[in-house]
Amino acid sequence: MSPLDRRSFLTRSGLLFGAGAVGGVGALVHERNQADAAPADSTQPSAVVQWRVSRGELADRIPFSVEGHQAGILNPAPAQATFAALDSFARDQTVLREALKALSVRARELTVGGATALLETDAPPADSGILGPVNEPDALTVTIAFGASLFDGRYGLSSQRPKELVKMPTFPVDDLDPAQTHGDLLLQICAHQRDTVAHTLRELLRAVRGSFQLRWNIDGFSGAQRGPTPHNHPRNLFAFRDGTANPPTDDEGLMNELVWAGQGEPAWAEGGTYQVVRIIRQHVEFWDRVGLTEQQNMIGRVRSTGAPLGGSDEFEDPRYDLDPDGKRIPLDAHIRLANPRTAHTADQRFLRRGFNYTRGFDDTGQLDQGLVFVAFNQSPERQFATVQKRLNEEPMIDYITPVGGGYFFVPPGVRGGAEWVGSGLFPA
Amino acid sequence: MPHLEATRWWPTVLAAVGLAVGVFVLVSAADGGSRTRAAAQAPSTFTPLATYSLAAPHVLSEVLVYSVQGVAGGPNAAPPPETKPFPASVFSRPIAAYRAYALRQLRLMEGELPLLQSALAANDRIAAKAAWRIAMSDYLRLGAVYLDGETALDAQVARLNQRIDGTPGGLPGGVADPGFTGLHRIEYGLWTSKPPSALVHIAGALDADVHRLAKVLPIAPVEPLEYATRTHEILEDAARGFLSGADVPWSQEGVLATNAGVEATEELISTLRPVLGGLERVVPAVDTEMRTLRSAIRGLAAAHGGSLPSNGQLTHRQSEMLDAALGGALEALSNVPGVLETEAPPAVPQIPKADFRTNPIDP
Repeated sequence: MSPLDRRSFLTRSGLLFGAGAVGGVGALVHERNQADAAPADSTQPSAVVQWRVSRGELADRIPFSVEGHQAGILNPAPAQATFAALDSFARDQTVLREALKALSVRARELTVGGATALLETDAPPADSGILGPVNEPDALTVTIAFGASLFDGRYGLSSQRPKELVKMPTFPVDDLDPAQTHGDLLLQICAHQRDTVAHTLRELLRAVRGSFQLRWNIDGFSGAQRGPTPHNHPRNLFAFRDGTANPPTDDEGLMNELVWAGQGEPAWAEGGTYQVVRIIRQHVEFWDRVGLTEQQNMIGRVRSTGAPLGGSDEFEDPRYDLDPDGKRIPLDAHIRLANPRTAHTADQRFLRRGFNYTRGFDDTGQLDQGLVFVAFNQSPERQFATVQKRLNEEPMIDYITPVGGGYFFVPPGVRGGAEWVGSGLFPA
Repeated sequence: MPHLEATRWWPTVLAAVGLAVGVFVLVSAADGGSRTRAAAQAPSTFTPLATYSLAAPHVLSEVLVYSVQGVAGGPNAAPPPETKPFPASVFSRPIAAYRAYALRQLRLMEGELPLLQSALAANDRIAAKAAWRIAMSDYLRLGAVYLDGETALDAQVARLNQRIDGTPGGLPGGVADPGFTGLHRIEYGLWTSKPPSALVHIAGALDADVHRLAKVLPIAPVEPLEYATRTHEILEDAARGFLSGADVPWSQEGVLATNAGVEATEELISTLRPVLGGLERVVPAVDTEMRTLRSAIRGLAAAHGGSLPSNGQLTHRQSEMLDAALGGALEALSNVPGVLETEAPPAVPQIPKADFRTNPIDP
């Protein structure tokens, strides 16, 4: 194949564009209209077409940072998400700094939305344009986090490493695939609409091309709010409601105790949080071949209502104090091991904000579905890892396989226009 | 279930027939999803998905379920009553039969291991691989020696199983770990161009471990429910570990391993047949699906010159066919443990209304 002659390509596309208006493209449009038997005047929309997306939702704007924290942590998870881990190939600290700045600035711009910049028409457009000439914010959040490897010797940042930021350890139930684990940087992109998420990832990668390269990427979604009330949590792919016992995010004091890092951290990291991501495959075919009683005993909740076993309401206290022997909720049930609800374990709780995923099927024809588990916590050692170790013995481990993810640190949010995520790492 | 509720339910279930013919046809075609204890007289030409005998005798003593979507009495209706459990004693004979089978298999394996040892000693890789395939099949035909080590005997069996059939996954030193022994250590050596003669002492230790296992396996305790559960879990493991190659990482002999799992499962089913005898909606489905699976595997052998192909030798179409057959068998088998219960699940105690609260620590 001969190398593409850039100049003649440009010329040809110009010619084709000109010709299309007269013959080529016009002929195609004509044929399609005939095939679909469309009305002659295709500019008149049919009366029955309704908006499938609310204008209000597309206009939802979530500030890039609020009160010193990045978005995408406390605000409720919207329908769509993607997680992209990147590795840095920036030559030195200066290039790294510029790339991080470009990433943060572009991310902030996209969360605000607005008309995309127009350049000369012979230049590649500044924005891919897949959302049209105006990017509506659509509740977009971009949460930028750093992996432990960013603080190795390469960029002179080792003394700035958040004190608990390490490579995620391998837990006994794990079967981690290096190609889906760890990374120098993590982008968590969330929005109402899938195309907003896809657009954002594409634009952000473009902003840091050459400096950051994709290491792994996984798309997530939330179950729809199916009630019975808007308070009831959507379900994971084992069909159980997920997120019921989350600490309330409007309790600022509790968030200071459980989510935000501060004490003992380097000054730049105060107000940040540790983000644990676990890509947990759920063996759904196997799960569906298990009796309901066994499923419910593994989780500790009633599948339909989400109530603790023996209860009737999703938000009901499981009253472990009345069931010390596990006659109602087995002692190794997931909810009981994850959160024993004692004063002693209260500071081990963390904020979960996971998404379901489905990504085709494996070589043996089994669906590749599961959970992108996300935990925000003040101390992964005190919180996530402590809970995870308790879960090593739960019967549910036969039905899941954690295959990837990592430990990351979400820097504090930006204050004022001059700051960007991570700017505190590089004092002027 | 009280009489009134049952009579309310009956017309609802009948009404579901018309609504859900599509769903019904899909499900009943595979003859899966059914569990029944008593013979049913269907009020139409459709075969019900399930028949539940109610515990309390009254006019309508059976409830027929026609549709996966059929909601009887609304989404908060109580589930149908459990089928009546079997006494644990009915499992004595099947488990005894299985123990005799397991012992025969281990004796067979002991008789064949010298072939592996001599091929290794002669540095004959081709003969050694063939002997390894035989030994691997022999062992997997035991059918999931996965005891949880709750008793001392269990623990001993689990330890020996780890030595014979363990993979290096959980070992700190991986393939170089001295605790990595047995069939998979030999597999690793044979399929990664290590000199076969270096594996002779591993094969010797394997022989000794099989000998030890033959002493304890036939007397290790087996719980009825665990025994019944194996009928589908052996092949659940095959789907996840063998056809993916995860548990036969070097040889990729997933079809061979699955075939051994099929034979083990058939042995279990055959020991349980006297117990399953009356369950006419479970057994024919299992038999049909197992027959399909067996013939799928036979077809693969025929297409590959008479021997079972490795995972990598399967065409895309052949993989699909095998996955389909295995999936069908698993769906049918998944109904076996449920009908073989020896005790009804205890009713879940309710949290007294007086004790209702949302959690003060964790709302």
